[in-house]
Amino acid sequence: MFGEQQRFVLLLIAPAALLMLLFQVVPIVIGANASFRDWALYNPKKIWVGLAHYHSVITDPAFLYVVLPNTFLFMILSVLGALVTGLALALLLNRPFPGQKIVQTILLVPLMVAPVIAAIMIRWIFNDQFGIVNVVLEALGFDGQPWLVQRWSAFAIIVLTDIWLWTPWFTLLLLAGLQSLPKEPFEAAAIDGTSTWRVFRYLTLPMLRPVIVVCVVIRAIDAFRTFDIVWTLTGGGPGRSTELFSLYAYVLAFLNLDLGRGSAAAIIGGLIILVLGVVMYRLVDRIAKA
Amino acid sequence: MPMVTRPQFLPDLPNWSRKTFFAVALAAICFAFAFPVLWLILTSLRPESGVYYVHRGTEFTLINFKDVLAQERIVHAFINSAVISTLATVFSLLVTVSSGYMLSRFTGPASRMWFGTIYVFRCVPYISWVLPLYFVVQSWGLYDTYIGLLLPHIAVHICFFSWLMKGFFDGIDPSMEYAAMIDGCTRWGAFIRVAIPSALPAISALAVLCWLFTWNEFLFALILTGNRVPVITVVMAQFVTEMGLHWNLMAATAVMALLPAFLVALFGQKYVIQGLRI
Repeated sequence: MFGEQQRFVLLLIAPAALLMLLFQVVPIVIGANASFRDWALYNPKKIWVGLAHYHSVITDPAFLYVVLPNTFLFMILSVLGALVTGLALALLLNRPFPGQKIVQTILLVPLMVAPVIAAIMIRWIFNDQFGIVNVVLEALGFDGQPWLVQRWSAFAIIVLTDIWLWTPWFTLLLLAGLQSLPKEPFEAAAIDGTSTWRVFRYLTLPMLRPVIVVCVVIRAIDAFRTFDIVWTLTGGGPGRSTELFSLYAYVLAFLNLDLGRGSAAAIIGGLIILVLGVVMYRLVDRIAKA
Repeated sequence: MPMVTRPQFLPDLPNWSRKTFFAVALAAICFAFAFPVLWLILTSLRPESGVYYVHRGTEFTLINFKDVLAQERIVHAFINSAVISTLATVFSLLVTVSSGYMLSRFTGPASRMWFGTIYVFRCVPYISWVLPLYFVVQSWGLYDTYIGLLLPHIAVHICFFSWLMKGFFDGIDPSMEYAAMIDGCTRWGAFIRVAIPSALPAISALAVLCWLFTWNEFLFALILTGNRVPVITVVMAQFVTEMGLHWNLMAATAVMALLPAFLVALFGQKYVIQGLRI
């Protein structure tokens, strides 16, 4: 039926395609089905309710005024923060200096730390009674803060933890990008005595742009679904004020045991990020071609 | 590196002060990055009585590690995490290396379609399919089993790793494979004997990343496992809620959970940096 080449091509992707079908496509279909039904663990009937779950999610004030703004704010702040720090560190590591290897290894440390463990460390450091941050503040004569039970300080800590975790990822990819840039333009600029800032602004940055854009797109999509650190740091609290989108869907499905509504929330989030993904992909394409 | 002298940073300062400034800034950055981990290690070495005053006192002990290792559930979780990470890495590479190779070497509708599928599924947020994954795994009788956790772990990396592998293979000149095929290699022979060895640095890099991702993964394990297959990240998170007061034990567990990841990354760092350079 197929030629030799087609068989080869199909066999190459068959295992991957099969796994994706079973563990991504099938769950998405089942989730979509559940989102139209009254699908709760204690109610085996699974009555068709149409768009009722979608309606109740998008009219839920907690979703509209807390979860969505939180998620987007978190996404923007953490991606920007990690990009700026990661780029700075990549530029630093790109010129040789004594001890560079050690510095590089230290800077990559967060990459190896599980988000859950990072969250536990940060929780301990910001513990309101015994955390080192409050101890130092009190020693300096300031008042210790209950960091994780105030909305904005808790949110800031979540963002900072995420930046800490993901900066090395940017550093690694941007460093790889920096080292594959052609050398001639930089040599020419050096001979002309161009200032460091101008070299960065007019040479490095434009040439690095494709790499930066790809990193940002991948990271932004990932940031949208952040779950681990919020779950472990604040559990969405105080109240529900630091809940991000993933946590919202998880709480609906597994704590409130309303799988239908949880699935609806998950699909709404899926659609949002899909649209964002397509828009960003277009952007990448345009920038890569320009 | 361009071997021309660059314009200096802060040119007005004398050489030694510029160097000092640079060194101090560097030390500060390294400290900021390493501090949480250092603090965790320090906490894990403090006895129960001293754990709330980590900054004071000089008593250090390894008793926390002993206490943690005496808990069967935690040891069990470590073993489970290690087994699942290793198996997931092996299978995930088998699957994604071939799929990335296909994307790189063949053009045409099949390839374009597969690439489109991968991109779309890469964008589908975790939660939208992890949530119903619970039904799937449950109804196939795989809930709270090794297989039920392993297979989704392999599936989750397909998109990202195929994409990366495509990039790696794009950077490798295919003419060697054509030459091998002219010399009588089959397509499979050219793939396995020529293409894979030349992509080995990249594949090692992916292996390191995959192992780390799986070891550190949390949401899957939280949803797909119960009491029979504890994994270390879930056990750690339960610590926070159930045993929140024993910070010394928690720190010791966390340090032990960090250790394998550190070793893998330390030895793999070279490959990751090489591999990602393409």
